[in-house]
Formats: sequence, C-alpha cells, structure tokens
Amino acid sequence: MDTRLANTWRLTVNEKRFIETALSSGIRIDGRNPFEYRKLSIKFGREDGSSEVQLGQTHIMGFVTGQLVQPYRDRPNEGTLSIFTEFSPMADPSFETGRPSESAVELGRIVDRGLRESRAVDTESLCVLAGKLVWAIRIDLHILDNGGNLVDAANIAALASLLTFRRPECSLGGEDDLEVIVHPPEEREPLPLIIHHLPIAVTFGFFSSESLLVIDPTHHEEAVMVGKMTATLNANGDVCAIQKPGGEGVLQSVIMQCLRLASRMASDITKKIKDAVETYNTERALRKIKRHPTSITLDGSVNLKEKLNEPSGHNVVNELSRKHLEKPRLASAENASSPGNNGEGESKSSNFGRSSRRDGATSNFVGGAASW
Amino acid sequence: MEAKPSTANLVDKIVVPGDVVLDLSSMTNQTIKLGGGLRQECDSVSVIKAGKLRFSKPNKYWVESSQKRYVPCVEDTVLGIVVDCKADNFFVDIRGPTIAFLPVLAFEGGTRRNIPKFEIGSLLYVRVVKANPGMNPELSCTDASGKAAEFGLLKDGYMFETSTGLSRMLLSSPTCPVLEELGKQLSFEIAVGLNGRVNAESPSTVVLVSNAIMNSESLSAVQQKIMVDKLLQRIK
Repeated sequence: MDTRLANTWRLTVNEKRFIETALSSGIRIDGRNPFEYRKLSIKFGREDGSSEVQLGQTHIMGFVTGQLVQPYRDRPNEGTLSIFTEFSPMADPSFETGRPSESAVELGRIVDRGLRESRAVDTESLCVLAGKLVWAIRIDLHILDNGGNLVDAANIAALASLLTFRRPECSLGGEDDLEVIVHPPEEREPLPLIIHHLPIAVTFGFFSSESLLVIDPTHHEEAVMVGKMTATLNANGDVCAIQKPGGEGVLQSVIMQCLRLASRMASDITKKIKDAVETYNTERALRKIKRHPTSITLDGSVNLKEKLNEPSGHNVVNELSRKHLEKPRLASAENASSPGNNGEGESKSSNFGRSSRRDGATSNFVGGAASW
Repeated sequence: MEAKPSTANLVDKIVVPGDVVLDLSSMTNQTIKLGGGLRQECDSVSVIKAGKLRFSKPNKYWVESSQKRYVPCVEDTVLGIVVDCKADNFFVDIRGPTIAFLPVLAFEGGTRRNIPKFEIGSLLYVRVVKANPGMNPELSCTDASGKAAEFGLLKDGYMFETSTGLSRMLLSSPTCPVLEELGKQLSFEIAVGLNGRVNAESPSTVVLVSNAIMNSESLSAVQQKIMVDKLLQRIK
C-alpha cells in the first residue's frame, strides 16, 4: 500500500493554477497552439497488420489478426470485428493488470463504435461460406506509454493496422465445393481488407473557464480539465460518433465549433495515415520484387527443371505453374548454396524446400495470428 | 575480495556495484564521509550503485548516476508534494520508493500552537534529515541550525519533472550553460530539487524556460547555447 501511495502521480496546486492561467492567454505548457496536434509518427512492423503509433509521448501498438469462425445467427453472411485493449502497467502507475478499468472499457467502446457504426470495414466481404464460416477480425491495442489522449492514438493505431492487414485467400473446393481451402501466403497473395473510409477520433478538453478549449490534451492537461469530448469524423465530413462522458456542461455553439475543428483535423490525420500506409505498401512490394531479378538471369536452371520433371509423369501444365511459384525460391537458394545442389532442391517436395528457406530469408506474409 | 591499492584511479571513473573503492586499513586517522552509492564493509568501501565515482575535498566520496527514480539521501534538498496531513506529520511525496514524513514542528519557530496548514497538492522545498533504506525518510523545513533558510511552501510557478542527473547539472557551479544563456535575456526564478523536480517561476516566460531546461539533458554545453538561442529567437 505504501509503494502504491508513493508511486501515484500527483498534480500540484501550482501546476493546476499555472496550466489554467496560461490557457486563458492561449499558451500551452508544451508550446503548442490550442488547436494543434502533437507530432504523430506511424510505424509498421514486419508482419502485416501491426502498427506502432506515437503521438507526442503517448505510445500505442495495434495488431490485427483474423480467424475463421461461425458467424452470428442473425448475420449469417457478415464477418465480425472485435477490439481488445490492454492497458499495460508500464504505461501509467494507475493502470493495473486484471480487470480493465472504466477508462479502458471506454476507449475500446469509442474505437469500436467509430469503426462498426459507420461501417468503415466491409464485413460482407469477410464471408467465406454463408452461415458456416466467416472471418473474425480481431484488433488488439496495447498501450505502452500514457502521455495523454489515448483515444486518438489508439484509433490511429487501429486504422493503420487495419489498412496494412492481409488475410489469406480462401477458395471453395473439394467434392461439392463445400470444403474451404485456405491458401497459404506463399501460394496466393493475401488480400487486404475492404475499408470504405477512415473514421478519425479527435478529442477536445474543456476547462473551467467557458471558452477554453484544447485539442489533443497531454497527461497534465487531462488531470486539470473538467470535461472532454471525442468526435469521430472521416475526411468526407461525416460524423461517425460523438462521445462526451460526463464532466462540465458545454454550450451547443461550442459543440458545433468542435465538430468543425474536428473535420479539419480529420482530413490532416487521414492524409498522414494514408501516406504512411503507402510507404509501407511500396516497401512491401519491393521486398517481394527483390527475389525475382535473380531468377531471370538463371536461364539454365529452367531447362534442368524440365528434364527432372518428365519422369515424374505429372501434368505439364501443372508443372509449369508450380515452376512459376518456385522460381523465386530456387533463385534465393541459388545465392545461398552452390549450383550443384540445385537439382537436389528441385527434386524434393516443394513444402520442404519452402520451410528450409524460410528460416534463411526474412519471414514475411504470415497471415495467421501475430506472433511477437 | 581484493582491495585495490591505488584508489585514487577510480575517482571520476565509471564504477559498477561490487567494485572496491577504498581500502580503509591503509588510511588510518582519517575521517571519510561516504555519500550515496557507497557502503562500508569492515575495512573496505564498495560500490552499490552504478555511476561515476566522485570525490570532493577534503574527504567526501560518492557515486553519481542519473535516474528517473530518486533514492533519498541525507542532507539532500528536494521538492515534495503534500499528500496528507496527520497529527504529527505531513505525508510528503518526494518521488522515492516510500512516502516521506515531515514533522509538524520542523519549521522555524514551530510550536504546537502555530502548525502551518498546507493543502493537499502544495509544493514544498524541504531537506532530507533521515534516510534509512526500508524506512520512510524524514524531512525538515529548516536547515541544520534551525533557521528557515528559504525552505517551505513554493507558492507560484510551474513544476516539471526531470531526471536526477539533470537536476544535479542545474545545481552545479559554475552555472550550467542553459541557465546562463537563459539568464542573459530573461528573468526567472527556479527551485531545483535533487529528486528531479524543478519549479520555475517567471512573470511571462515560464513555458520557454521549462522547455529549454527539459531539452538540455543530453546536449553538450555548446549545443545547449545554440538551442537556447534558437528558442529565444522564435519569441522575438
């Protein structure tokens, strides 16, 4: 109990008074304008669907994973979307493990409402077999550092990870076409989710003086403010959700002003997210293309393959299509091992070759659960 | 455990826990004061905290390191936040592992009749009197001779938190470069606690001063001057 008492962060009377008086002259303690966001940086991990967002001191990671499940009875041909938050105790001394606190539940609700109610993620495209199998998309948000305004940063992390997530392609096969085959990423390129628009959450803080309003409050400002409101809008100007949890009453004109400001901020942030996702996608494409140039130079290897395949008696067309997929892998093996081993590698089953080379090359495109 | 014969070599060098710093059997008839980070074991003095070993004449040794957490040490001046008022003590948070006690009588001319009233959340400039590991530290608002000496409540200003290394740099003499540069153009008042808390007060430029100090942690002297110049130019 004593350590908890000692570890709690406290606000001094001096700070409270100072922040309020400075705000009445439009000065914020970190030198920003009242309607200015902190520096936003969006980074991505090596796996599809993992993002790391830093908004000033606030640091949040988002992970998106997909799983095939049975759909809900009342929505047999729609996939599901669920959000889980984890408030790690390393983010703030007041966060505890175990049951999520009220603010944790609220954060999950706001992000969830923004995505679900506005139908930003197309759930019908997640259906594989109506009534039997659909994709369940799960978003995990991990709070690493609480520097204030977790909602906005968490929303950006969720959106960034959704935009870069790739789910494996499924097709129907087997007898009756009722068997679902999930293609591994090496066989067929995984597909991105269909996202119609990006709902951006913008949080406002209200202070004891009527007209004092700030955007993106820091941790200290959050301790001093008397009310807050989160407006979720997209770049088209549609209001997706508004949340005002208690606090001081606010005039209607102030709310309209907030919504106007929020739509301006939303278009800025949407652009930043899209730019970051663009760079990630080009990098991802480059990573794939890097393997191909080496296969073009090794024309001799193609002839060698054909000679070895004939005795197996497979369908020639089948072999050619397999060759297309295996060419990049053989090419990378070419660099690793001597050309003498080329024949050996080819005659073994493709699965074996794939797994052994995966350890050597960087492992990308794992469409399953995120392992970190 | 081998005692090092030449201990003067370790002064101003980085030491790690376990290093034996002094061999007392070879230094008889001397009083040596040990500061934080050092422990006496029979005849040798060894290090218990990683950092740089420092020596000040005539006889004080201590280990200096910079952390975000503060370990209370006797005779340190710190900034504390009042958490609670009890009958005999104020509970004061000094950013250490435990809450510290400030006896209600530890003020200049303090008697049972004129106990000061501090509201919860007030900022105090206090001195650490007792700091034994495992026990709550004890504080005082007077200096060793019983005078007030500027200890007590800090009324105005803005408090921010830094690491212990930065607060020691701010208190060093000669004046640290960032304060010197700021002082050439602005007038302000700061109270620095060795526990990493700084309270800055100024009629108009507190935000600038606090941000300049917070940014100066990892910069060299020249870089600090450049940073301050840039900041000052922006407001002109």
